[in-house]
This record gives sequence, structure tokens and C-alpha cells, in this order.
Amino acid sequence: MNFKKAVVVYQKELLEMLRDRRTLFTTLILPVILYPLLFIGMSSIMSRQTAVIEKRGAAIVLRDSLMVRNELSLAVKDTIYSELQRTNYFNPVFVDHPTPQKLYADKEIQAIVTLADSTTQSGLQTYRVAVQYDASGERGSLVFSKVQEVVRNVEKGLVTDKLLRQNVDPRIMDLFDIERRDTSTTQKKMGMFLGMLLPYMMILMLVAGASTVAADLVAGEKERKTLETLLVASVKRGEIVLGKYLTIITMAMVNVMVNLISISLSARYLLSQSGLDTSGTQLPVKAFLILLLALLPLATLFAAILLSVSTFSRNMKEARSYEQPIMIGSMVLAMVSFFPSVEINTLLALIPIVNIALLFKAVMINEYQLLHLLLAIGVTVILDLVAIWMTVKLFTTESVLFRTEEEGSLKQVRTRQRSLFNSYYGLLYFALALVALFYLGTAWQGKDLLQGLVKTQLLIILLPVFVVLRIFKLKPVQMLRLKLPRLTEVVLIPFIAIPAALIVALVAQYINTVFPFPQDYLENMQKLFQMDASLLVLFAVIALAPGICEEILFRGFLVRFYENKGIWFAILISALLFAVFHLDPFRLLPTFVLGILLGYLTLRSGSIVNAMLSHTINNGLALLVVSYAGTRWLQPFITTKGDLEYWLLAPALLLLVAALWAFHKITAPKEM
Amino acid sequence: MIQVQGLVKEFTKKDGSQFRAVDGVSFQAADGEIVCLLGVNGAGKTTTMRILSTVFKPSSGTAAIEGYDILSQADKVREHLGFLSGDTGLYNRLRPNEFITYFGRLYGMEDRIIKQRMEQMVELLDMSDFMDKKIEFLSSGMKQKVSIVRSIIHDPPVMILDEPTAGLDILTARNIVSFIRDCKARGKCVLFSTHIMREAERLSDRIVMIHKGKILVCGTLQELREASGLSDLDDIFVYYVNQVQGETEVQAHEF
Repeated sequence: MNFKKAVVVYQKELLEMLRDRRTLFTTLILPVILYPLLFIGMSSIMSRQTAVIEKRGAAIVLRDSLMVRNELSLAVKDTIYSELQRTNYFNPVFVDHPTPQKLYADKEIQAIVTLADSTTQSGLQTYRVAVQYDASGERGSLVFSKVQEVVRNVEKGLVTDKLLRQNVDPRIMDLFDIERRDTSTTQKKMGMFLGMLLPYMMILMLVAGASTVAADLVAGEKERKTLETLLVASVKRGEIVLGKYLTIITMAMVNVMVNLISISLSARYLLSQSGLDTSGTQLPVKAFLILLLALLPLATLFAAILLSVSTFSRNMKEARSYEQPIMIGSMVLAMVSFFPSVEINTLLALIPIVNIALLFKAVMINEYQLLHLLLAIGVTVILDLVAIWMTVKLFTTESVLFRTEEEGSLKQVRTRQRSLFNSYYGLLYFALALVALFYLGTAWQGKDLLQGLVKTQLLIILLPVFVVLRIFKLKPVQMLRLKLPRLTEVVLIPFIAIPAALIVALVAQYINTVFPFPQDYLENMQKLFQMDASLLVLFAVIALAPGICEEILFRGFLVRFYENKGIWFAILISALLFAVFHLDPFRLLPTFVLGILLGYLTLRSGSIVNAMLSHTINNGLALLVVSYAGTRWLQPFITTKGDLEYWLLAPALLLLVAALWAFHKITAPKEM
Repeated sequence: MIQVQGLVKEFTKKDGSQFRAVDGVSFQAADGEIVCLLGVNGAGKTTTMRILSTVFKPSSGTAAIEGYDILSQADKVREHLGFLSGDTGLYNRLRPNEFITYFGRLYGMEDRIIKQRMEQMVELLDMSDFMDKKIEFLSSGMKQKVSIVRSIIHDPPVMILDEPTAGLDILTARNIVSFIRDCKARGKCVLFSTHIMREAERLSDRIVMIHKGKILVCGTLQELREASGLSDLDDIFVYYVNQVQGETEVQAHEF
């Protein structure tokens, strides 16, 4: 590796980037003009809106429902009316209009104000002002607050008069005067505003900036046919990759910096517009430096991943479309900075993007641990190296570098081979099933949980599979691997399923301690196990039915769509779909792991019954533990708080490994 | 000098079947010699040349450029090789002088020497008018000249040109022809490919005919004429193609 040549590549790429108007626009010019326009535009539109609504005014009807009509009460009524009339842009109609409700319904008037009275036991006459208005519109709310203000003023005037007449100082009404003394400075307010917004915005800008550049760097070279020119020159592939990699990092960090400065200056303007004194406030330079430092490892990670995507793509358009999911994924992960309750811990420090977003928040309030910082950087660097290694690998793969040319001939082959079982149709089927589950299943279960669960399993999960097989004239027994397993396999299944269920439960439990499940989520789970039914029925609904139906769908049917891309690919994808299907972010990881195991059992032995058995045992075990939690023979395994004992992990792992080893031995590698 | 020994390149098609683009190709090209790789489209010319330029790795067999092995000494091979083809595009956002300097630096040359050589070439090819314009605004003839300078900036002893005149107008193509003759005059070893018989006839010292990945025949134009008893290169080519397909009769003048 000659670093000097990598630097030559780097310098040239930077020069090219600066010459590219599109890149220049998105990284430098857009941020400079975007935020001022956005922020300033927003604040001016907001203030203008209020003024416009006020000017449009409102018409109201004042109704008189006074019971005691004496001189005093009529005077009160007249005062309110004249005060309302004196209010700017108000047009009160003081008539008992024959059909005020119709006017209101036709939006001719915005409020109906009804004045009523009552007399207390001590003979004091009190008034009730009912204001009928529409709070969903800003105009209605404005009318209400105006009426309220007028009535309160009239009230104050009346009371003051009364007190004066009785020789009491009217100031008795304002016994307490509350004075605000806000110690926060404009500086602090700005810091808080930026602290919420910045981690998210900056991660977004980072990936956006990096992806524009990355697509151009390799996919763009392929498109413009300059890649071969470069490859025949005296430069190693590693040197090219390094040069391009540094270019992406540089451009992404420049993009972040420009955005950071522009957004801060605009935020300052916005705060000054809202009436705060910004003289003497400074940008939190130190916090910015920390943010940039924290973003650097993330920039390297994005650069490496996006560079490998760009290398893999045929042209820029393809690269951009592969970049989309990466950008959306990063956005979702970066959103954690908006949740006030989520703080960084050892587990979260291991999740890329999330760790940097949370770490920055922690740094802002000066409560971060070195361990978390090291973990976050460590994980990022490891992923970095993997992605760089992959890029170099791709760069030495002829079929990837010269994919453009084979395209024509490949298309013919592909169209000929298109059948039902390709990954696209698999995903489509899954999406439809998910939609059905979300709308129908949830509705059914809401009406009657027990019945709904049965209907979901049979009608949404099981039935459509057989319908599709029927339509395409495929044999279910063969297609779904509905074959009896050998006895030795069946005997081993409990020794695999029980420890696996335990491990999965323990993992879920651990996740719960670092990332607590919401209370109503736990209550919903409880509801499932405490349905009003006998244990046998519960077993059939919670364990047996999913064991059969879900296995048919995922390990029987959906796995078929991915098998032509490799057995392990099929296992992983079907497990991922299985995990997503549970519509439950808290159980995503455990169900994914379980899905891998079930996929392995099916494809290794060629019989889906093994997976059905295993799945049923897994769900049945959960039911068992909940139902018999109080009994004596379960006590040694359960803590006083009702959790599983963590020491169970060791024997469970041991047993699982041994049983899986035995299973692997006795099953011939038929399909694996 | 180029020595090619039993080169084979197999590609895997999407349906899993193997396809031999280059099938046991051997030939040599000496210094000061222009050798033409002649064949129809898809004969395996480009694949052979890409293997020689170290962009592709051969499935079996090997080759050497100036005695450096293309597999074990790929760096040395690229240093001693100038490569030009329709697929070696230019960076549109750069100016010709920046573009050429970039490649000179990649070859590890000092800026002073790059400048010196570039000035020589610019004068020779009459390029001084457009050295400071961006490449995207240049005409195809100007671009061709820039590409030529790029390929020869490091003064390589071996030049490989893959269909150098394809898609060029007659005036631009003349640049290439005189460039190839100039290379020979400087004692360089030149290998170029074409499917145009006239070009092969006019330029080459020796012709290597290639068809469906295999070499049909190899020799000077005179040798080929004598061996086949035909005078026109078109006819000679068809003669050898038919020979491998089991037909010795030439069916060329059937119109």
C-alpha cells in the first residue's frame, strides 16, 4: 500500500467534487440558504397568520337568559355588550336572534354567548357566561379568549365598585403578586433547542452528504466509463478505495460543519425574533467540537458502507436506490435523540448510530461514561473495517466491477427463469399477510381475544398458503415439507426446544432490564395468558395453533422463495420475516433467533414437523411458567420477583449445544 | 515485449453454465513491432486485452509484459504498459492538464517530469489550444488526443490499444493511426485489436486472427496470403473461420 498514491486519488476526487455543481449545491449552498429561509420564513408566517385571523374578526350572538331582571343584572348585561362592541374587529349581535344555532351551524357567527344568573342562599346574585365555540379552529379559540378577557374585565370592574362602596380597598383582590425571575439565559435556551435537534439533524446530514458523494465515486465512474482507465493505471485497488473513502469522509464532515454553522446562526435569529435578548450570546463552540468528534467515527462507517454499495451498483441510479433504505434506517435510529427518557447504557452503546446520537445527548448534559464512549467508537471501528474489507473485496471482483456489460445477456436468462418462487413475490406475499394481520387480525382479537387468535391463525396465516399452492397447482406435502420426521429426531426436539425457549426468555428478560417494556405492553401479554378458558384450550390456542400454522407459513411456504439464493440465506430471511410478523419491537431479536433455529431444524431434516413440535414446546413452556408460577416445583427456577433465574443460562446453553450437535449428526445433509 | 501463453478465461453465466471467452490463446509481440488482434465482435479480443492489462485475471495460462508476469507482478506490468480503449473514459470535470498530471502521479512520476513530457506531447499533437478547457467541452477528436497523452505519459515500452478507432470519424482515426506508427518508430511494442480488415492490412506487421476465443492463425500478411492462396484479407479471414468449422471451400465471392 502506497499512501502517497491514495493521497493523489484523494486530491483528485476532492477537486472533481468541487467542480461538480450538484454536489457543491447540496453540500455547501443548500444548507447556507435552507435554514435561514426555513426558520425565518416559519416565524414570519406564524406571526402573520395570527394577525390575519385577528383582522378577519368574528361575529357573535349574545343571548340573554337572565332570571332575575333587576336594574343591576340588566346593567351587567349592557356592560358586557358594550365592552364586546368596543373590542377590535368584533361584531356582537345583541338580539335574541330567532335561530342562533342555525347561524352558528352555517358559520355565519363564531360564538354564542349566553348570559344566565342564579342566586345563592345568602341572596347574592351570580352570573354564568356560557360560550359556545369551535375550539378546533384558531378563530374559535381566539374568539373564546377575547370573550373571556372581556367578561373578566367586567367582573373586575363590578367587584371593585362593590368593594369601594363598602369602603374596602379593592387591592384586596390582588393580595398576591407573582413575579417571574427566569435565570436561564438565551444561551441556555439555545443550547437546549439545539441539543434536541442537532444529533438527529447532523446524522441525517452526514448520511445525506456521504451518499451523494459515494454514488458518484464508483458507480459514477462505471457510468462514465472512467473506471477502467483508473484500473489500468499503476495504482493498487486498496489505494483507490482508501482515496475514495477519505473523500467521502471529508465531504460528509464538511457538509455537517456547514449545516451546523448555518443551523446555529438561524436558530439564534429565531430566538431573537421570539423576543429574547441575544446580545452577548455565543455559539456553543465546545459542544460543537465534541459533536463533530463524535460524528467522525460515524462518518467513517457511512463512508465505508456507502462506498461498498456504490462499488456494487451498475450506475448512479442504482446506487441511489440502494442508498435509500440505508438513509431511512439511519433516520429511524437517529430519532432516539428525541426521546427524553432514553439514555445511553452498555447495550445501547453497541448499536451503531443510536450510540452516537445518545452519546452526544449525554455529553451535552456532561454525564457520559468513558466506557460507553469507548464501546461506541469500538463497535463503529469494527463495522468500519468490515465494510472497508468488503469494498476492497468487491473492487477485486471482476463480475462486480464489470456488471454493466453482462446486463443484456443476463436479462434474457432471468426472464426465462422467472417463476413463482423468487424473492420479490415472497416479499409481496409477506406484505399482504402483514396487512391482513394488522387490519383484520387486530380487529378480530379486539372483539374476542380467544376467538380472534384462532381466526388469525387459521384464516390469515394458514388458509392463504393452501389457496396459493392450489392456484399454482403445487403439491402441499412436497412443497411444505409435510413429512414425518424420524423417531430419533423427534426424541431430540424437546432437548433442543426447551433450552432454546429458556435462552430466548432470558435474553428477552435481560433486554427488559436495560430497555424496560412499557407497562401496558406487559399487561397485554398478561391478558393473553389469563384468558377465561381451560388450560387445554389455552394450550391449543397459544401453543399448538401457532406451532402448526406459523410454521406452515414461514418454514414451509415463505422459505421456499429464498432457497435459490442459498439455504442459509433462506433461513435468515424467513426468520427475519417471522420476527417482523410479530409486530413487536421488543421481541424482535428473540423471535429472530428462534426463527433461525426453526428454519435450521426444518431444512436440515427435510421435515417441517420438527419445527412445529419445537415451536409448540416453546410457546407451551411460556404458558406453563405463567400458569404454574406459584407452584412449588417451579420455585427453584424463579426469583421472588417472578423472573427466571439467570444461572439457568449455563445448563440451557450446554444442553442446547449438545442436542443440536446430536441432531446435526443424525440428520444427513439432504439440503444443506 | 508481450508473451502470451495458453490464456483461458471462463465466465459463469447467471444460469450457472460456463462460457469460455478466451480459450487457450498464445502469441508473442516483439519490441518495435505492431501486432494486430483481428476478429469479429465477441471473438475474445477485449477479454484477452483486459487480462493483459491486469484488469481481469485469467482462469488459466499466463502472460508477461516486458518479462513481468501479469499475475504475480501486476504492479510492474501496469507500470510498463500504456492502455487505450473505447472503455477508458475521461474525467469530464477535469482539465486535460489536470487529467494527465493525475495519471502521471499515479505512475509515481515527479511533477517536473510530467510537465516536461506533457509539453512535448502537447506540441506534437497540437493540443495547446484546449489544455485549459474542461474535458466535457472538448470535441471527440480533442478527447482522443488527451487519452493518447494519458496512455503514454509514463513512456511505457508496451502499448495495448483495444479497438482504438471504433466510433471515431475519419480525421480522428488518423490521429490514432499516426500515433501507432510513431510508437513503432520509437521502438515500442504495440498490440492493437480491430474488426476492420483494412486497418489490420495497413498498419500491422503481424496479424493474429482470433475467433470464438481461439487463435485461427498467426503471421505476416504475406505469410497469410501464401498459406491460403488468397489475396484479400477479408477472404483470408473467412477461409480460416470456415477451416475450423470443417469447410475448406471459400464461399466469399458468391454475390
